[in-house]
Amino acid sequence: MNSHRILDHPVLGKLTIEKEIPFTFDGKKYTGYEGDTIASALLAQGIRTLRVHEESGSPRGIYCNIGHCFECRVTVDGTPGIRACLTELNPDMIIESGKQQFSPFKSTENQDDLPRTYAEFEKQLKGEKEDEPDV
Amino acid sequence: MTNKNHAEVAIIGGGIVGCAIAYYVAKAGIDCMLIEKGDLASGTSSRCDGNITIVDKDPGFDSLMSLASQELTAELEKDLYLPFEYRTQGSILVCDNDAEMEVANEWVNIQNQAGLKFKLLDHSDIRQESPYFADDIPGGLECETDSLINPYLFCYSLIDRAKEYGLKLHTRAEVKQVSKKEEFLIETTNGSFTAKKVVNAAGVWAPFIGKMLDIEIPIKPRKGHIMVGGRQKPIIMRNVMEFGYLMNKFQRERIADPETLKHGVALVLEPTESQNFLIGSSRQFVGFDARVDFNVVQTMARRALRFFPKLDDFNIIRTYTGFRPWTEDHLPIISAVEEVPGFYIAAGHEGDGISLATITGKLIEEMISGKETTISIEPLRYDRFKRKVVHM
Amino acid sequence: MYDVLIIGAGPAGLSAAIAAREWNLNVLVIDEFLKPGGRLLGQLHQEPDGKWWNGIEESKILLEKAKELNTDIRCGISAHTIEKTDHGFSVYTNEGILEAENLLIATGAAESPAPIPGWTLPGVMSIGAAQVMTNVHRVRVGKKGIVVGVNVLSVAIAREMQLAGIDLECMALPAINSATESHGSPKKVMKALLRIAHLAPSTAIRFGSRFMKGDGTKALAVKFFPKSGVKMWGMPIHLRKAVTRINGTNQVESVTICDITADGEIIPGSERNIEVDFVCIAGGLYPLAELAAVIGCPFQYIEELGGHVPVHNEQMETPLEGLFVAGNITGIESAKVARAQGTLAGLSIAKRKGQNLAKLENQIQQAKMNVRTIRENATIQFHPGIEKGRSRMEEAYYDIVHG
Ligand SMILES: Cc1cc2nc3c(=O)[nH]c(=O)nc-3n(C[C@H](O)[C@H](O)[C@H](O)COP(=O)(O)OP(=O)(O)OC[C@H]3O[C@@H](n4cnc5c(N)ncnc54)[C@H](O)[C@@H]3O)c2cc1C
Ligand SMILES: Cc1cc2nc3c(=O)[nH]c(=O)nc-3n(C[C@H](O)[C@H](O)[C@H](O)COP(=O)(O)OP(=O)(O)OC[C@H]3O[C@@H](n4cnc5c(N)ncnc54)[C@H](O)[C@@H]3O)c2cc1C
Ligand code: FES
Repeated sequence: MNSHRILDHPVLGKLTIEKEIPFTFDGKKYTGYEGDTIASALLAQGIRTLRVHEESGSPRGIYCNIGHCFECRVTVDGTPGIRACLTELNPDMIIESGKQQFSPFKSTENQDDLPRTYAEFEKQLKGEKEDEPDV
Repeated sequence: MTNKNHAEVAIIGGGIVGCAIAYYVAKAGIDCMLIEKGDLASGTSSRCDGNITIVDKDPGFDSLMSLASQELTAELEKDLYLPFEYRTQGSILVCDNDAEMEVANEWVNIQNQAGLKFKLLDHSDIRQESPYFADDIPGGLECETDSLINPYLFCYSLIDRAKEYGLKLHTRAEVKQVSKKEEFLIETTNGSFTAKKVVNAAGVWAPFIGKMLDIEIPIKPRKGHIMVGGRQKPIIMRNVMEFGYLMNKFQRERIADPETLKHGVALVLEPTESQNFLIGSSRQFVGFDARVDFNVVQTMARRALRFFPKLDDFNIIRTYTGFRPWTEDHLPIISAVEEVPGFYIAAGHEGDGISLATITGKLIEEMISGKETTISIEPLRYDRFKRKVVHM
Repeated sequence: MYDVLIIGAGPAGLSAAIAAREWNLNVLVIDEFLKPGGRLLGQLHQEPDGKWWNGIEESKILLEKAKELNTDIRCGISAHTIEKTDHGFSVYTNEGILEAENLLIATGAAESPAPIPGWTLPGVMSIGAAQVMTNVHRVRVGKKGIVVGVNVLSVAIAREMQLAGIDLECMALPAINSATESHGSPKKVMKALLRIAHLAPSTAIRFGSRFMKGDGTKALAVKFFPKSGVKMWGMPIHLRKAVTRINGTNQVESVTICDITADGEIIPGSERNIEVDFVCIAGGLYPLAELAAVIGCPFQYIEELGGHVPVHNEQMETPLEGLFVAGNITGIESAKVARAQGTLAGLSIAKRKGQNLAKLENQIQQAKMNVRTIRENATIQFHPGIEKGRSRMEEAYYDIVHG
């Protein structure tokens, strides 16, 4: 689709496309252009949300676009924490957005409820799921 | 009547120890002030882990002191308004090899005999602790009463409450000169103050304050590194250290690779409330050189991977260093100083300042008020070092 | 072991590499971005004589020159930390450890964040992010947006977005909070804005500059600043309006804007929402100097240079033997100055290798003069009193090395 490209520019001239690059993001197929970063290829498709905040789940996209803020972290071919704004798009990259993570220590109101071991944490997790079958 | 620049008691140093003292002294209704050269918790207390542990203390006086501190911290959770990420989940030690496992077994027996809640963990218990542990870890041990805090928040929380009890706070005031006539005169970069009594809680910088009154304080900086691992999936629920940590701490012989031994590296992994991971740590005498030493960091990372091999794709977001205020016998100095009546020292907690802050605060308040102390203060006396010199 | 490793392939790093290669040094340039050029790549301004300063073209010229000299330039490599060794430096990167006898840090500048509530929503970005998307990647950052923060850089980039056909509602200030302080004060912003009046064919701004003779009259300029803003290239710039909030659920949907007094205080009841789908925040630039800090290079805080700057002399040497700095890491200035500084640094490094000293010394003197001339004639100035800042740095260097 790439509908957000600036094809014509009064000073910089016409956009020359050397090569198309296929990739997937969260399981869907897209194409970008040679010279794209992951962030630019996604934005060209209108995709702005690259991850959600690990705790709150609120959406995040690029901020600085030059590698300083680490807001654009995605998982590329299984490696997490990759900055989308610095990383060159390569053919057939499998890109996953950053997901919400568990916060097992947030309920400090009752100390006894805190899981002590990972096994306890998993048990609590299962318990929650049984409580709310629709999630 | 309250004079901003005068107090009955002046506390120098706004680290965790100074803040705890300020809290207990103010709470006792004594007119007091805290003088700090930077912001609160700008020294070692913001460059450390947050463990309040017994698991690593020698049975006897050391563990007794920690237990008293743990109980006080639990009380504080009720009296302080600002939360400080307090978690009582216990903590564990893991062993690298069977030899360590044997010593660990003895350790648990000794601690149990002392009435402390210790338990030996076998291989399958370790799997329950975390699925990320290496398969060849033979076991470890647990101390049930250990807890965790965020030391930085704790300092602010203590002072917030202490101010309500009447504490006067002077930050960005570096003490340059202390002298004594009828009362103490404390000159700082942000005004001069007077006080009847002075508590030196300047941590690793306490010797400099001592010198201003011609008092020699045998505390040396023992540097430690910490890496902060970025948030990812949960790995483990509570603080874990390796048993080798104890060997280092008490300078006993330990089997590990040369780099690990050279930099005094032992695994400490603390999952914080925000799900970052503090990975430590090292122990080195290199003066006040605060630079991050990459060799040390690499050695620490290797050590972490020994126990958590699946952490190899973790993001390290930052590395920092701190100076533990070390004393020769690994106990702090919590004491009056005979040579200068009215002058107290509360410093030298080395790697236990977080664990021992509350009891230290309480003891100093009791000494100032002339009360009977919660625990014996004999082993903590300032003149113990001098006595030793005489005997040699 | 390289004679010199250069971190950063911006105008400073590239021109340093060229100078060092001309003296036959063994050079490696690394950069974490996927193409060389640094922040120069995104630049596109019209000079007062009407010619375009086209960063992509300017980068190409540097790059071609470097290639003619067989310069080794590697992209996609981030330097994480540096260590001083007995023979020079070890630079730790995502691609392993690199060793060099001399090191030039030319990492440029970064943007200060100016947080306003809602700024984490997708569709909110720094003004520099929009520049790179628009001019380097040729991707539109949105349909209609607003620029929050009025300074040299944001005015220039707003113009660039307009050229690319992106619709901007207006430019306005961020509401004052502890983090946005100086960017939220109309008086301070006005002062800064007047320094770029020559770039803006705007009568209102020239009107303002008449008031700028004395300090007391600056307040007047703000007072008389038209309520409807002034227009530059048809786009309103507001100094008496501030954005208090960015709204939206999954991405930017609107901003809340209000009227402010000349001191930046919100006039109650003036809030209203404007629909936009992107927001660019401009918080100003500061030197990106962490790498110099980790090896223990001394620093000096100099406001005119943009903040904490590694101490260095006019030849771009730091007090640490073999460590050089050039470009925006030494203070925020235009790309032309960075380029000239790079040449000078490259020559200084060659001098340390001790070749043909008389000829080299002559070139160094010329390069120094060149930096000064370019600085004096700069059309874009980020901070006032840059010369004053530079001489304070000379003093700081002298104090550390000789004092
Ligand atoms: C890597 C590392 C990990 C650690 N982990 C743990 C742990 O898990 N559990 C534990 O119990 N302990 C731990 N510790 C130890 C603990 O951090 C210290 O013992 C404790 O922080 C010491 O506190 P303090 O208040 O004595 O010193 P500080 O926090 O250093 O406070 C002293 C204060 O005095 C101020 N000061 C100095 N000079 C002056 C002056 N002239 N005028 C005014 N103010 C002055 C300083 O600015 C400073 O704020 C760790 C330490 C390190 C380095
Ligand atoms: C967002 C932004 C927009 C700007 N826009 C303009 C403008 O429109 N007009 C103008 O005159 N000036 C602009 N500037 C100022 C700009 O800094 C200078 O014009 C000039 O580009 C500085 O050149 P430099 O070589 O010092 O640094 P840069 O051009 O910034 O180059 C530094 C290079 O170092 C690389 N780098 C940084 N850290 C590392 C690391 N750890 N490892 C590896 N590589 C690293 C970066 O990827 C970058 O390519 C802008 C600056 C910024 C930050
Ligand atoms: S957007 Fe800031 S690091 Fe990528």
